[in-house]
Amino acid sequence: MSRNTSSWASEAAAVFAKEWRCEFRTRYALNTLALFAFTTLVVVSFSLGPMGVARSQGTAVLPVLLWIILLFSVAAGLPRAFVQEEETHTATALRLAATPSALFCGKLLYGLTLVLALEALVTPAYLIMTSLEVTSPWLLAGVLAAGGYGLAAGSTLVAAMIAQARSKGALFSVLSFPVLLPLLVLTVELTRGAASGDPAGVSLPVLLLYDASVTVAGLMLFPVVWNP
Amino acid sequence: MSTTLRFSDVRRRFGRLAVLNGVSGAVEPGGMLLVTGPNGSGKSTLLRCLSGLLAPDSGTIEYREDDGRLDVAERRRRVGVVAPDLAFYEELTVRENVEFFARLRRTSSQRGFAVLERLGLPLDRLAGALSSGMRQRLRWAWALLHSPRLLLLDEPFQNFDRAGEDGARMLLAEHLENGGLAVVASPSPLDFDHVSEHLELGV
Repeated sequence: MSRNTSSWASEAAAVFAKEWRCEFRTRYALNTLALFAFTTLVVVSFSLGPMGVARSQGTAVLPVLLWIILLFSVAAGLPRAFVQEEETHTATALRLAATPSALFCGKLLYGLTLVLALEALVTPAYLIMTSLEVTSPWLLAGVLAAGGYGLAAGSTLVAAMIAQARSKGALFSVLSFPVLLPLLVLTVELTRGAASGDPAGVSLPVLLLYDASVTVAGLMLFPVVWNP
Repeated sequence: MSTTLRFSDVRRRFGRLAVLNGVSGAVEPGGMLLVTGPNGSGKSTLLRCLSGLLAPDSGTIEYREDDGRLDVAERRRRVGVVAPDLAFYEELTVRENVEFFARLRRTSSQRGFAVLERLGLPLDRLAGALSSGMRQRLRWAWALLHSPRLLLLDEPFQNFDRAGEDGARMLLAEHLENGGLAVVASPSPLDFDHVSEHLELGV
C-alpha cells in the first residue's frame, strides 16, 4: 500500500517536474501571466491609486480589483495545462502511461506554484501602489494561499474538462463562471476583512471547504473526462 | 494462466460513418495478428480500441495476463503502443522524455535507453529536433520501456531507414520469441516470419 502511494507520489512529482522543465524552456505561461499581471496592475494602480480612491472606499474596492487581476492573469495562462497536451498530441502517450489522479495532482501542483508565485509578485506591488493598508497580514496570507489553491484547482479542473472540446476558449469562460465565482466572492470578502481588521468568521472555513470540494471533484471527475 | 487477447464483434462508428463492423480476432503468446486494409478501413481505430484509448460502441475485448482479466484502465497502462500520432515533449531531450515516462510507468529508464542504443538514436538531442525516422525510433523505445506483453503497432516500420527497420524487426522478433503478443496494422502485407493470424479489413 505504502509502495503504491510512494509510486503514485513519484508519478505526480514527475508530472510536476516535467511541467516546470518545459515551462522554463518555453516560458509560455510565465510570460503570459507576467505580462497580463503587470499590465493590469499598472493600469489599476494608476487609475485607482492613493489619489483616486478615498481611504474608506479603498478597503471596499481595492480587494475586488486585486482578485480580478489575479483571476484574469491565471485565466490567461492556466487553461493551457491540458489543451497543450492535446494540441501537441502528447496526450496519447500520457493517457497510456500515467495514472489519471497522479497526472491531475501533478498538473494541479504546477498550477498552484504558478499562482503562488504570481501572488507573491503581484500582491506586495499592488498593496504598495494602491496604499492599501492591511490590518491582519496573517489573514491576508491565509486567504492568498487558500484562494490561490482554489484558483489553481478550479482552473486545472476546468482545463481538463475543455481539453478535448472544440470551442475551448468559450467553454473555459462558461465552465469557469460557476466554478470560480463562489471562490472569488469568498476571497474578496476575506481580503476586505484582512484590510479592515474584521474577523474572518465562517468565510475562511468555507473557503477551505471549497478547496477540498474542488480537489475531490477533480480527482473523481478527471479520470472520466480524461479517458474515453 | 498465460497472456491472451481476444476480441469479438467490435463495432465503432464516428457519427454516421461505421468504421468497424463487427471485427473479431485473437492472439496467443508468441503470436502476431497482422491487420491489413486500405486507408480508412479502420486499422488504427481497431488498435485504439484494443489499447483502451477508444471505447468501442459494442463488442467485447478481453485481455488477460497472469493476474487475470484486466480492466480497460489497466490494459491501457500495460500495453506497448507504436502509432503515428504518438508524440513526445519537444522541449525535452530524448533522455528526459524516456526518464519522464519511465517514472510514470514506474519502471527503470534502462530498457528504453538500451532500445535507443540498438536503434541508434542519440539521447541528448531535443525531441523537437528529431527527424521522422528518429521519432519512430523514440516511439519504439517508449513502447518497450515497461517490457509489455502485448504490443500494438500501427505502421511500425514507417519512416525508418534500412538500419532502423532491421533493428525494429529484430526487436519485434525477440518480443514474440519471448512469449509476447503483437497486433500489427499495416496497409499492405508484411514480409515477416512471425505472422500467425491475418485480419483483412475493408472500407
